[in-house]
Amino acid sequence: MTLALSDIPQLETERLILRGPRLDDYPVMEAFYASDRARFVGGPGNTFQAWRGFAHVAGMWALKGVGSFIITRRGEDRALGMTGPWVPEGWPENEIGWAIWDASLEGTGIAYEAANAARKFAFGTLGWTTAVSYIDAGNERSAALAVRLGAALDPDAKAPAFDDVDIHVYRHPKPEAFA
Amino acid sequence: MTVAFQIPELVTERLRLRLPRASDLAAHTAFRTSERSKSVGGPFDAGESFGHLAGIIGQWQLRGFGRWMVADRDTDEPLGIVGILHPVEWPGPELAWTVYENAEGRGIAYEAAVAARRFAYQKLGIERLISLVEGSNTRSESLARRLGCSQDGTFSYQDNLDIPVWLHPTTEAD
Repeated sequence: MTLALSDIPQLETERLILRGPRLDDYPVMEAFYASDRARFVGGPGNTFQAWRGFAHVAGMWALKGVGSFIITRRGEDRALGMTGPWVPEGWPENEIGWAIWDASLEGTGIAYEAANAARKFAFGTLGWTTAVSYIDAGNERSAALAVRLGAALDPDAKAPAFDDVDIHVYRHPKPEAFA
Repeated sequence: MTVAFQIPELVTERLRLRLPRASDLAAHTAFRTSERSKSVGGPFDAGESFGHLAGIIGQWQLRGFGRWMVADRDTDEPLGIVGILHPVEWPGPELAWTVYENAEGRGIAYEAAVAARRFAYQKLGIERLISLVEGSNTRSESLARRLGCSQDGTFSYQDNLDIPVWLHPTTEAD
């Protein structure tokens, strides 16, 4: 019996479908979170942390009306990562976030395609007038994606406060740039 | 744009068990950042409190069942969190309860827990329901006894704490 119902929107791109989180996505996220690849997003972490993190991702949609999408390839429906609006408590500004869980995606342009669709959703459907991405100073792949998306370092912008983590703020072009 | 999110509501004599929402965040954060949250691993900060409340809703999205915000039926004041908690590493679905300071000593947790337990048995078809109660949490242990639970082993996680497992009676299953 499905008791909880939500109408999280679905985004489509040339190769991808971005949809709401589901229980069967969790093992992919857990494997990612346990790996060294999670070191820029608060990991690596154990099952306790991964499950709570994933539930946080799923529940943000209800609390804030926005949240992250699960990235899947058309016709496969297997979770590859997540991207979307990320607006937790303590964030100075609205963020477009991304995390690629499946390492085999590196170099495919899938992350770019997904994040671009998420940004379009934030500027279009949500009506955001500006957006940033908060990226660990050591996360070169993520910084490269931000640059490819047209974002640039904004040294004056406030970053979320974390102990022992240096966060760079990349600001995306204004929505008008995509009009 | 808003995302419609619906879960079943339960209504008791004094309470409405409903979906947590953003307006509950202040009360939830007040609890999670206070000394009263020691028995659930706290105190935590405001960022964690948000993630925790979001996670409560997120479990509904992921599993189709979860925990409700227990609200005063007349005023809608948030009083605590009660329902079925089931993280992936748990030994099974747990009937879990937390009451905020303003709800203590009024039988709120008992009233909500009875309603949630009946729902778990009758609507969700859960057959074995447990509660995990830290040994030092005497108030919570008293409630487990009042609910007719009996202790059935322990569960270890995180820092290998041996948390007593309380097994619920199935008298409301029919």
